[in-house]
Amino acid sequence: MDRKRVPGPELTVPPLVEYALDQKRWSPQEECRHDANRQPEDLRPIYLKTGLISQASGSAYIELEKTKIACGVYGPRPIKKSGYGFSGTGTLNCEFKFATFACVKRRNHIRDPQERELSMILTQALTPAVRLELLPKSAIDVYITVLECDGLSSCFAAAITAASVALAHAGIEMIDLVAACSASYVIMDRTLSSAVPPPSTTSDSAPAAVSLRPPTIIMDADLEEEKFEEGSIMVAYMPSLNEVTHVLQNGKVDRSIVSQSVEHCIEACNKIYAVMRHALVESIDEKQTR
Amino acid sequence: MASTAEAVIPGQRLGHAQEYIAGSGTYLHQDFLYASVVGIKQINPSDNDGLPFLTVQRESSQSAIPDIDTIVTCKVLRINPRFASVSIMVVNGKPCTDDFQGIIRAQDVRATEKDKVKIYNSFRPGDIVRAQVVSLGDARSYYLSTAANELGVIFGTSIAGGSLVPISWQEMQCTKTKAVELRKCAKPL
Repeated sequence: MDRKRVPGPELTVPPLVEYALDQKRWSPQEECRHDANRQPEDLRPIYLKTGLISQASGSAYIELEKTKIACGVYGPRPIKKSGYGFSGTGTLNCEFKFATFACVKRRNHIRDPQERELSMILTQALTPAVRLELLPKSAIDVYITVLECDGLSSCFAAAITAASVALAHAGIEMIDLVAACSASYVIMDRTLSSAVPPPSTTSDSAPAAVSLRPPTIIMDADLEEEKFEEGSIMVAYMPSLNEVTHVLQNGKVDRSIVSQSVEHCIEACNKIYAVMRHALVESIDEKQTR
Repeated sequence: MASTAEAVIPGQRLGHAQEYIAGSGTYLHQDFLYASVVGIKQINPSDNDGLPFLTVQRESSQSAIPDIDTIVTCKVLRINPRFASVSIMVVNGKPCTDDFQGIIRAQDVRATEKDKVKIYNSFRPGDIVRAQVVSLGDARSYYLSTAANELGVIFGTSIAGGSLVPISWQEMQCTKTKAVELRKCAKPL
């Protein structure tokens, strides 16, 4: 008996295939989004709830249709590890982890370089909002587990949103909440190049196609849309102070498109803020009725 | 006495700095007061007809963290001639979820005759001590002091296993064997 791995059940069923053979796959030529009911600037509906993990100091769960993320905050607790030296302010440790089954391709249990990088960015995006100067010699640990990922940058933005709600739920003093939103640049109705994903492995002819038609800014892109993106941007923003904590941009796109997408993201963050606010006020009501 | 109750979240603007004094759970930024925790907004009138205090009563209580001048209750873990190592369990009457490390150095045990202090005549492992934080200390431990009448051992067990009762500021007696043991006692409050 192999105890280290999960063996399949003895009675097996045929795997569920993501795309049936006869199913038509979405492509940007269709002039509508993957979800035909969404306009380019529309976000997916957000479900956000606090108090999912009872043993954590604070926790939050976020769901954007298929994207599902759980976040737990532990601490503040004293730093016991030697070698850190004295620090007059607290430290925020973030750990971003994909569940093995979260993505299309199976993920490893061990943290891979991508998760390490995202953890670091998450720390950078959240630290400005937390009043760490009030917590000398202490550390706060934030653990994020992605249960299902539908679009990487939108998933990461949702993780920042969830983490800041979890921090507030833990009663940690914060300057403001951090809302995050992502946008992808997709060239809709592309007639020149064939719609073969992904464009990241661009041949020499691809840049010519880019310059011909300005890409459409698609907010909160899902996985299907992300496959055709020219690039993407993620903005983490403190809504009531009107300050940006992090911008993560990849791919090549015109300057005007970038500034336009940042504005779109900030606008969307303000919408997300309303959801965050609702979730936190609800958590107060729950405690009072208990 | 709360005159206004309202649920607020971090970053929410609460009022102008000229109208209120920032209390706990709030912060001041560019002439405005903002909430820094999730909770209920409260306006408390100040004692001497000044500006009213604006506080946010947090809903989820955060673990207490020792700060300079706070009174802590701790347990002695081990002693050596220079200091006693303690683990801080309660800060200002609030229990810590995770214990903090602290040390009481020989020069901080009492206010007078500091050079004559002997740690083993002041504390023993297992004693419960009330102390004051004097410094955030080094990377590992907070520095504590018991140099005041109301600070020192508040509970201890004798070698025989009986509980100790204070008979003077540096002596305690076992309730079982009536043997006298030396401790830096706290004056009962």
